[in-house]
Amino acid sequence: MNWNIDRRTFLRGTAGVALPLPFLNLMTASAKESATEKPPVRFMTLFKPNGVHPPSWNISGGSETDFRMSPLMQPFAKHKDDVLILDNMGDFGFSSHANSTRRFLSGHHQNTKSASVDQLIADRISGDTPHRSLELTTEGLFPNQIGCSYISYGHDGQAIPRESDPQLIFDRLFRNPLSHPQKRREMASLLDRVREDARSLTRKAGHEDRATLDQYLTVVRETEKRLQDMQGRSSSTDFSKFKRPERPANLNEQAESMIDLIALAMWTDSTRCVTYMLGNSNSRMIFDFLGIKEQHHYLSHFFRNFSRENLEALLKISRWHMEKFDYLLTRLKSFKDHNGTLLDHSVVLFGSGMGHSDNHTATRIPIILAGKGGGMLKTGRYVRFSENQQLGKLHLALLQKFGVELESFAGSSTALAGLDSSDFTPWRERPFESWVKVEGDEITVQGRIRMSDNLDEAKLFFVDVQNKPSVRIEISFRDFHNFNIAYHCGTPITISGTGSEQDGRLTITKVKELTSLFGSKPGSANG
Amino acid sequence: MRILLAICCLLFLDSHAVRVSASFETEVKPFLKKYCVDCHSGGEEAKGEVDLSTMNSSNFAERFEHWESAINRVKSHEMPPEDAPQPTAEERQKLLKWYQTEVDSVAAHPGFFTPRRLCATEYRKTLRSLFGFDLEVAIIEAEQTVAEKSLVMKLLQTDPPGASGFRNDTHGNPLTTILWDQYSYIADAGLEELFSQQRRPLLEEITGPIPPAGINIEHAEKLVRSFVPRVFRRSVPESKLVEIIDAVKKNSDQEAALNIELKAVLMSAGFMFRGLMMEGEVGKQQPVDSFELAERLSYFIWGDMPDAELLELASAGTLVGPEIFSAQIERMLDSPKSINLADDFALQWLTLDQIAKQSDNPPQAEALRSQPVDYMHHLFVEDRPLLELIDSKTAFANPFTAKFYGTDSKQMVRYRKQKGIEVEIVPNQKISLVATKNRGGILTMPGILEMNRGPVIRGTWILERILGEELPEPPADVGQIPASPPGKNLTFRELFEMHRSKITCAICHDRIDPLGFALQRYDGSNYKQNADVDTTGRLPTGESFEDFVGLKQILVTSQREPVIRNIVERTLSYALCRKLKFFDRPTVDKIVSELVAADGTYRDLVHQVAMSLPFQQTVIRN
Repeated sequence: MNWNIDRRTFLRGTAGVALPLPFLNLMTASAKESATEKPPVRFMTLFKPNGVHPPSWNISGGSETDFRMSPLMQPFAKHKDDVLILDNMGDFGFSSHANSTRRFLSGHHQNTKSASVDQLIADRISGDTPHRSLELTTEGLFPNQIGCSYISYGHDGQAIPRESDPQLIFDRLFRNPLSHPQKRREMASLLDRVREDARSLTRKAGHEDRATLDQYLTVVRETEKRLQDMQGRSSSTDFSKFKRPERPANLNEQAESMIDLIALAMWTDSTRCVTYMLGNSNSRMIFDFLGIKEQHHYLSHFFRNFSRENLEALLKISRWHMEKFDYLLTRLKSFKDHNGTLLDHSVVLFGSGMGHSDNHTATRIPIILAGKGGGMLKTGRYVRFSENQQLGKLHLALLQKFGVELESFAGSSTALAGLDSSDFTPWRERPFESWVKVEGDEITVQGRIRMSDNLDEAKLFFVDVQNKPSVRIEISFRDFHNFNIAYHCGTPITISGTGSEQDGRLTITKVKELTSLFGSKPGSANG
Repeated sequence: MRILLAICCLLFLDSHAVRVSASFETEVKPFLKKYCVDCHSGGEEAKGEVDLSTMNSSNFAERFEHWESAINRVKSHEMPPEDAPQPTAEERQKLLKWYQTEVDSVAAHPGFFTPRRLCATEYRKTLRSLFGFDLEVAIIEAEQTVAEKSLVMKLLQTDPPGASGFRNDTHGNPLTTILWDQYSYIADAGLEELFSQQRRPLLEEITGPIPPAGINIEHAEKLVRSFVPRVFRRSVPESKLVEIIDAVKKNSDQEAALNIELKAVLMSAGFMFRGLMMEGEVGKQQPVDSFELAERLSYFIWGDMPDAELLELASAGTLVGPEIFSAQIERMLDSPKSINLADDFALQWLTLDQIAKQSDNPPQAEALRSQPVDYMHHLFVEDRPLLELIDSKTAFANPFTAKFYGTDSKQMVRYRKQKGIEVEIVPNQKISLVATKNRGGILTMPGILEMNRGPVIRGTWILERILGEELPEPPADVGQIPASPPGKNLTFRELFEMHRSKITCAICHDRIDPLGFALQRYDGSNYKQNADVDTTGRLPTGESFEDFVGLKQILVTSQREPVIRNIVERTLSYALCRKLKFFDRPTVDKIVSELVAADGTYRDLVHQVAMSLPFQQTVIRN
């Protein structure tokens, strides 16, 4: 066991793309354009498959600027000032995995004749970068519902092939053998060598052998000519000091290496647009490196396959996704870019295609924008719209901000307000009072219930009471199940039961009664 | 270059530029003129794409296939067609006699030695054996997804099948600059991984412990001496090894220098092409050298380079001894690597790769695909008689295919799905067919029936893949099957027979349809006992049958020889990586007659092919 941990730590240190120190120090000075010029704005998306478990994802209450990040958001809570959390995104009742995946960047699953938003943005911003865009993923194709495997679509509406291997991407970005003088010299000397070998064979060869050797030597000659044609042409930046990532031993190393490369590709201005899927929607991945044996999709149906162990496993997987989002933001911040960081000049779209992962509702879809986009976005806010918003409105707003002139996208003709300092209609909740009463060992409390921030103790809940410490709900599985505690998360309730006070905090350990202030009983509402 | 190669093939057989007897002009030519060339002339426009007007006494060898097919049809009275003037029995007899004399005069010849590029699968396996690890792409393989995990297979395009129908026949698929770049990339990736920290233990098995300071010249020398001969799959002269070691010595960075040297070896013609380095005397028929023999054997049975044992025997010169050779074949068939005969050879022969395309759900598709592959592997390694291809009491099944085997599927150890797994690929288990009467043999395997739907496709597949006949493309104007005429209620078969009763159709369909309609009780992969269909038929050779059980009986009795001949031809062609020529006919005849007489098995077949003249010998043409 110890050995495993050591090895993981060791590999984590070496698997990523390490930059040699002198290079890191040059970062500010070597930025391509001077600080006064406007840096390019980059666009990235990170797709989280299979929706979320809403009680742990949704923000409980709060306002635009005063809010508490949800338990699942904790891994990137440190970037609170750099994110713009959108809520009430999506306006569709139920959506299949394939349809919801297409909607993530295409607005609507019937929008099948248009390019996805990333591709339209890439057209506008790629300029003369060597790579117009990168489309990345972690896993193979899911042929049963092929739409689960793609988020990026070209102008003909056809899915764009994805790449999953960090070494292949590294080589594509930084090791084009023909544009690299050192590699050219090596190949030239290799050609001399193999030609000599082939000629020595020719001397004793028969008729058919000579024909084969001729064929071989022709290719050698043509390759030599291609090398000569490349003489004098040389890429302006020398990437030879970049360290090629090692072969990843598991999904985590694979994803982190890839995110390292995304940041590096952006910083070297090799490309300005990347989409990355952390998995297919409907993903059958098994997160064995997190100690989980069940398939992700099975676990994502946390209601129909409910057990405490399953829920804990699902939350571990979701937390891993959130950690990768954090990793991306941290990486982007670590690169200086002009007078700020790379993240300041980027727009990162993080999210999923569906909200509730068990019943597939395409409302309250997790969508977060990160980075200021060179002033495009006003971050550090929680924007919960009064009504469900079409995803196409978000896409149209992004397109307009990136300078793509389109009247409508995916059937939406108004751009989403509220991404910058523009006005939007926020969601309003009916006011309610919160209070707590204690009589002997009986505790009654009214307030908004939420899950513990710490997902390792996902069986703990808190009822927030104004100006008082939150009341802790720590109950048996039976109570949790019978009173459907998780269902009420984010909403005001009155709950009574027995308990006690420990270290100045009231804790209910046995529930007697639970009523929702405004909502209906669990199971009586749609979706 | 390519044109040059093509000409080489055409000019091929000088010595046989055949002593076609003088009687051609007086007896054969008039026959062709009178009965054949009206339809069979005009190049590609000719009926059945067979142009008999250009046949003459000097192109017998190169047009051998057309001759063979024409003569067979005259023999069976398929040709000339019924509504055309018929030759007399005497005229027919004369033609057949002439042909038999020509064929009998053909002497077995091993063919000219031709180097060929490793095909993609051979290249992948060879690199894996060389390095000790498979080059993999980082991609998560979850259940129900398809992912190409091999770097080589991802980067190299799958080879198109050559003239033989097999992908290891790369003669028509030359080296290109695009391939060159891919090879170069793959060699870099392989060497980088070989020298990586992750692979250090593997490298140290060859070099001994490597200190933190890195590789020194002793390590380099050990690696070169072990690696380079294996790359070339033969002993390498000491002078060549010293040259490489000296080049490493000269460089201050030994690891970098070693990398460059090994890459040059991996990019050399001697590695990419099979056979370029064979020793031999030009112009003489001779046994191939022992390294070439080892290589032929290992690429045939394993699709991979020879292992240490084979190379050692080749180096000692003892591989050619019949006992050792035979023992090696047995050892190789017992090795798990012999799965190649099923998952590469039989897969291409029986078009099994089409099966997986019948389902979008990978575990389901894999269940159908793996069944015939496992079955063919069973035939090869468990020494089953050749005709078990057609009829057998053994089957392989998993939970997805269990339903096809009724109570017999109860023999399987019950599969229990682990918690949290929705669908997954499940291995097959071997079962005996006791109660199942409508399965057994390759023809009624669910995947085969699923991939070949409809009587015409099924009949064509059996004719081509099992009976080894070649069919021309159907004419372009075949049209639609008509609706039932008013007042009549004809079955599909009756309608279809009306439609294809034209003589141009009937020539092929008389052979195709009985085979295909015999399987009409199989609706896709499902057997419908009570389906109201007509499964009776009569083969052009005269045998009649009631249903598929009857047809199967015919295939293993009166049609036994053609089935075995086809198995032999396919196997020999795969083993030689080339299309068979007329001068291979004596070789094929010999193997067929021995296997027919001895009721031979698949192991016998492998031995016979490996011992055959064209496998053992060659002529290097000047």
